[in-house]
Amino acid sequence: MNNMDMSDMRQELAQLGGGAHALATQILGNADDAADAVHDAFATVLARPSAFDDEKGALKPWFLRVVRNRCIDMMRRRRISDTDVEEIVATTPNPEEALQIDQRSLAIRRALAVISGDKREVIILRDFLDLSYAEIAKVLGIAPGTVMSRIHRARLALKEALDNDGK
Amino acid sequence: MASDTRMIDEHVGELLSGYIDGELTQQDRQRVEVHCDACATCSKERDELMALRSDMGKLKLSTIGEDTWRENMNDVAVKATRGIGWLLFGGGILAVAGFGLFAFIFSEQVSTTEKLIAGAIYGGLAILFISVLRQRLIERKTDKYKDVEI
Repeated sequence: MNNMDMSDMRQELAQLGGGAHALATQILGNADDAADAVHDAFATVLARPSAFDDEKGALKPWFLRVVRNRCIDMMRRRRISDTDVEEIVATTPNPEEALQIDQRSLAIRRALAVISGDKREVIILRDFLDLSYAEIAKVLGIAPGTVMSRIHRARLALKEALDNDGK
Repeated sequence: MASDTRMIDEHVGELLSGYIDGELTQQDRQRVEVHCDACATCSKERDELMALRSDMGKLKLSTIGEDTWRENMNDVAVKATRGIGWLLFGGGILAVAGFGLFAFIFSEQVSTTEKLIAGAIYGGLAILFISVLRQRLIERKTDKYKDVEI
């Protein structure tokens, strides 16, 4: 049952937009496609807000799951492979962006592009979006007991990619 | 003592991530702390992963602000209500036109010649309308400058 007021929901969704866009960009490898995915997710949620049950959990993981599902649909339709995503994510930021990003951030972005999509996804959910393990399990539709090992493998892979980037 | 040696041999592996994320039980937390005090490898790995986690949190991975998303949502609502409006309007027009056409064709007060002339005029108008509409839709779909704001 959804006891959330519609204006509260819209307010919270607007706050989640940036994080959802970051996640979608890491999945799809393209900021424009990611914006489309988030826009579609807004449309889906606003068309049927009663689908969200606030007694089952917070809006954030539920909405991120909607966004993720939308991204997967788009990838299937456009047949985007993980390799394509790596190439796009690794693209050098434009000069305006580059001015705002320090060298460490640039190195992490390059390292993120090197690791596999599922590792990138779990690390974004935990370290960028600050979701708990239980919430990550809900977003990814996996057993909560497997989240810790997934995150650890993803972090080790990211660390290795960073080390290799520095050599 | 024997158990401490086993712990160092095995390392704590994924528990390090659980420790960093505050997702461990008190018992596992203590186990990681005791192990890291005795194991330089795990202690170093813990510090590196903590630094990495902190740096990840500082990344700017989306350049679209909250206001834009709020407008985006309004756009979604406007588009949805506009769609319903057009659907109702179009449906009403089609129903009236269909009813009028039916009454006109089967009217006994209008001669066949008058029906043919009126049919040619309205049929021609309909063909012209569809032709222009089709052209506009193709232009709208293929115009690469449509999103350029002047």
